[in-house]
Order: sequence, then C-alpha cells, then structure tokens
Amino acid sequence: MYLSAWDSYAPTIVRWLLVGGGIIAIVVGLNKGLQALGVRRETARGFALISPWLLGFLIWNAFPFAYSFYLSFTKYNIFQPPEWIGIQNYVEMFTKDTDFWPSLRLTLLFAALNVPLGMVGALGVALLLNRDVKAIGLWRTIYYLPAVLPAAAVALLWRWMFSPGSGLINFFLQPFYALFNIGPLQWFTEPKLVLPAFIIMGMWGVFGANAVILLAGLKNIPQHLYEAADIDGAGTMQKFRFITLPMLSSTLFYTLVTGIIGALQIFTQAFFIPVPRRAGTFMNVLIYQEAFTFRNMGYASALAWVLLVIILILTVLVFRSSAAWVHYEGVKG
Amino acid sequence: MTTTTRPGTVVPPHPIVRVRRPDARHIAGRLVIYLLLAFFSLFVLIPLAYMISTSLKVEEQLFIWPIQWIPDPIQWQNYIQAFRSLGQIAPGLTFWRILSNTLVITLLAMSAELIAVTLVAYGFARFRFPGRDTLFFVMLSTMMLPSIITLIPTFLIWRNLNLIDHYDPLVLGAWFGGGAWAVFMLRQFLLGIPPEMEEAAVVDGANAFQVYYMIILPLVKPALLALGVLMFQGNWNNFMGPLIYLNTTVQFPMILALQFFLASLSNEAPKWHYMMAMATVMAAPLLALYFVAQKYFIEGLTMGAVKG
Repeated sequence: MYLSAWDSYAPTIVRWLLVGGGIIAIVVGLNKGLQALGVRRETARGFALISPWLLGFLIWNAFPFAYSFYLSFTKYNIFQPPEWIGIQNYVEMFTKDTDFWPSLRLTLLFAALNVPLGMVGALGVALLLNRDVKAIGLWRTIYYLPAVLPAAAVALLWRWMFSPGSGLINFFLQPFYALFNIGPLQWFTEPKLVLPAFIIMGMWGVFGANAVILLAGLKNIPQHLYEAADIDGAGTMQKFRFITLPMLSSTLFYTLVTGIIGALQIFTQAFFIPVPRRAGTFMNVLIYQEAFTFRNMGYASALAWVLLVIILILTVLVFRSSAAWVHYEGVKG
Repeated sequence: MTTTTRPGTVVPPHPIVRVRRPDARHIAGRLVIYLLLAFFSLFVLIPLAYMISTSLKVEEQLFIWPIQWIPDPIQWQNYIQAFRSLGQIAPGLTFWRILSNTLVITLLAMSAELIAVTLVAYGFARFRFPGRDTLFFVMLSTMMLPSIITLIPTFLIWRNLNLIDHYDPLVLGAWFGGGAWAVFMLRQFLLGIPPEMEEAAVVDGANAFQVYYMIILPLVKPALLALGVLMFQGNWNNFMGPLIYLNTTVQFPMILALQFFLASLSNEAPKWHYMMAMATVMAAPLLALYFVAQKYFIEGLTMGAVKG
C-alpha cells in the first residue's frame, strides 16, 4: 500500500509551522533582547527584522559555500567520510574527463549566442511595440506567454517540435530536404545540431519576456528628450543612437547580466532533452549526474566551482565594461 | 522607423503638438510594423497551438501532413488516458494526488517566502543600523552564486536531518528570508514610499507590530501580489529540488511526474499526444493565473529592471 496524502503532508506541515513560529520568535526575541542589552531601538529593530535572512545566509549560503570548496578537494561518495585528495579532481577534470570540455564548450557557446540573439530580437520587438501600436496589451500578452510556461513543458514541446520523423519543424523543412536531397535533420541527436536546436528553443522562451522588460524601459524615457531632438532636427537613427540606446542601457545591462547567469545555469530543459554524449551536456546536468547518479560528490563540487569561477569572471567583465556603455541618469556614463 | 520625423515636416511653433496627417508612406510604415509584430507573434503562438492541438489527437493523426490544427475527432480522452497510464506505472499517483502534491509544495513555500520577505525588506529599507549596507551588499552578491554550488552541501544537511523523501527540503528554506531577489525588489519598492505615514502612526502611539501590520502591509500589497505570482510560478516549476529530494513516486509533484512518465516510455515510441496533454495540464494553472493577474506578472518582471 502506498503512502496516503495525509501521512505525506502532515509531518511537513507541522515542521513548517514550527520553523515559521521559530523564525517569528527569533525576530521578536532579538528585538526585545537587544533593546534590553541597551542597544539603540532602531538598530535592534532593523537587525531583528533582517535576522531571518542572516540566519538563512549562514545556514544555506555561507556554510554550503565553504563546505563545497572543501569537498572539491576530496573523494566523497556519501557513504564513507570524505577523503582528502588535494587538487586531483581538478587535474582529472582538465586532463582526463572526456565529458568536461565538450560540456563547457556547449554551455559557453549556448550563453554566448542565446543571450545576444535574444536581446536583439527583444529590442526589435520592444521598439515596434513602443511605436503607439493599437492593442498593446494584446501584443504584450502574446509575447510574454512563453515565459509563463514551465520550462519542463517548453522542453517537451520543443522535443516534439524537433522530432526527426514527424515534428512540425521537419514538416516545414521538407521542401528543403527535397531540394538538397537529404534526409530529415536529426535535431537533438546529431551533435552538430544540438546547439542550434537549443538556441531556437531558448530564444522562444526568453525573447518575449525581455521585450516586455525593455518596453517598460523604453516607456520610462522622458518624452521631452525626443521633442528637444525634434527641434534640433535629429533624424530617427540619431535619436535611436543618442537618446534611446543610452537611456535604455541600464535596462539592457540588467537583461544581459540576468541572461548570462541564467543561460549558464540552464538545467530543466537540458534534463528533459537527452543529447548524445559526444555533443557534451550542459554543465548543470553534468554536475547533477556526477553528484546524484554516480555519487561523486567531491568531483561534482569541483565542477561546480569551475562553473562558479566562470560565472564570476563573466560577471566582472560585464560590470567592468558597463562603465563604458551604461548610462545612469544623473551620473555621467 | 520612418514615421517620427520626415524631411519636409514643418515643425509647428508649439513643438509639443505634432500633427500627423495620414499619407501613403505613413500607412505603409504602420503596416510594416503590424506585419512584423504578427510575424513574431506567430513564432510565439505556433508551438503553443501545436502543443494543444497534439494533446487532442488520436495517435494516428500525429504524423499526418498537412497538419490538422483542429483535430477531428477531438480526443479529450487523452487527458484521462495519460494520467491513467501514469497511474499504472506509479500506483496511487492519480491526477488529484499530483495536483495536491504540487499545491502543497507551492503554497507552503510561497506563503513562507512572502512572510519572510516583508520582514527582511522592511528591515533593510526603513532602519539604520551598523553594518546594514555591507549586509545588503552581501545579500545582493548571493544572487550571483550559482545554486548548484550550494546544492551538494545543502543536500547533505537535509540528509543528516533525515528529511530526504519528505517535502521539508522544498518548503522550509523559504522561511529564511524568502530569497535575495525578492528582498531586493520589495526594498526598492519600499524606498519609493515616503515614511511619513509610519512616522505619524508612531506619534499616534502605534507599536512596531501595529506599524508593520496596519501601515506597511497595505502599502506594499501591490508589490507583494507581483512577487506572489512570480513565487507561485517559481515553486510550481521547481524541478531540481523535487528531483533530488523525492524518491517515493506517490509524493511526486507535477513536473517530476512528467519526467517519470517520459523516462518510463521508450525513446522509440514516445506517446506525444499524452506528453503534450500532460504538458498542457502543467501549464494550464500558470496560464490561467497569467490571464487573471497579468498586471502583476509584468510588474514583478519590470520592478527591478527599470527602477533598479
């Protein structure tokens, strides 16, 4: 007999209430306790209010962060205690692991192509929507739709769209196949086509949401700037180059940073769409498999740290470059 | 991009008023805009239509070209059959059980996140205390941290607490601050509200709890609704968590049930009409929420991007 719904929910609900009550008690207690110790009232209140986050930071961020760094220098399969092996995990990753380089390449290429392409498409749509079009609500609703769908549903949908014999894409491409006398493209199974297929899927999921964000940014640009430019006789391109782009740059910057971080961490879609080993797999899937399929917790931690360093380097580069192209209002950019 | 100023346009003496007479060029420009918008909409809508259309077909119709967009007959049965075949490989995992599993996870996590995030954001926005800005910066930097880094140690913590294969790892963490991103959003929102009302309430003798409950909560309600829909979406779609922590099939939420069903089918003959039916079921609540509360989706999305 299987677990009843009640037996499966009740213990969690009880613990959920206890933890919630505990958190509230900590906030109230800290506020009272700190004041009793003579701490200024405002300090005590503020500190008490943020204490749930601070506690969470220590338990769910700081400790795991340090511990995963330690684990990356060990061999650990959960059942025996971690065994210190120095930098061997990293050496193996860079020299022996045949999955690492293809996966890193696939992940980086995906981010490098998906993010800029998505942004250009999004900017185009946002500019169109910003031109006093009728029924803007309707267009916005349509464009944002893919971002509402669960990633799992999106992945399944595109697996079916790209399905070699019978999916929609290959139906559309049939005339080309006849023209060049080739068989249907094996999307997702032919290593060379894995990346393009993922990029098409990724663009579908993200460009509409970015368009909505950029549209909000465009609407935020003060109209008087354009009117002043009109008086000065500026052309459309000039206005785009000298008003729209600079005024939109902080929004573009936001979509770029969140886009890169998101693209490098793609997991659900990649998990739902198996690709041939040779094509590499996405880094997060590789790490998941090492950790939870093969129980190589130490090696998986080392992989995660390499991903972290890559994300940090890219983020720093983007932030550094932002000084040159991001214009913040009131500050000379 | 040809309509805003054209050579030969006479700039009127009061430049705020721009008179636009419909001429051929202008109409053509508008037409191009609408055509482009329609083209991009098709790119968005065709896959969606394909998903729903497939979910209503009998198996033989899946492979017919040209595609029958409106299936004949409309096979509503697929929705029942899909979950029935899932129930055969995972006893007890009925549609209603999956739905309640998903809702329990989503609602517990979301409500804890909302409660925690109002407390923390209020603290960061309204009180001055030593180290506040440093702590806020630390919180912002945790957003850059890939979640995979902390995943393994976090898994080990829950394992030591003997809570693997329970829902706890998916919902208890929400109490601890509710997520850096949400705190950031709500703090930005609070900073945009002048503190006079709170000060007046304090003068009138309200205590801290009364100020929070009677002034702050009503003021941030729109922001909370916006965060709420995004949190609902995030927890509904969370895949990595259930995948790692849940083993007993009868406890699976929708997304994991979907994955389980997919994995159980051989790669040769995936039952695409069933898969699409399940994908549609998984997407339906979010789509419904989107159509009801679209304003809040868009608000939540643009809150940080434009004002931040």
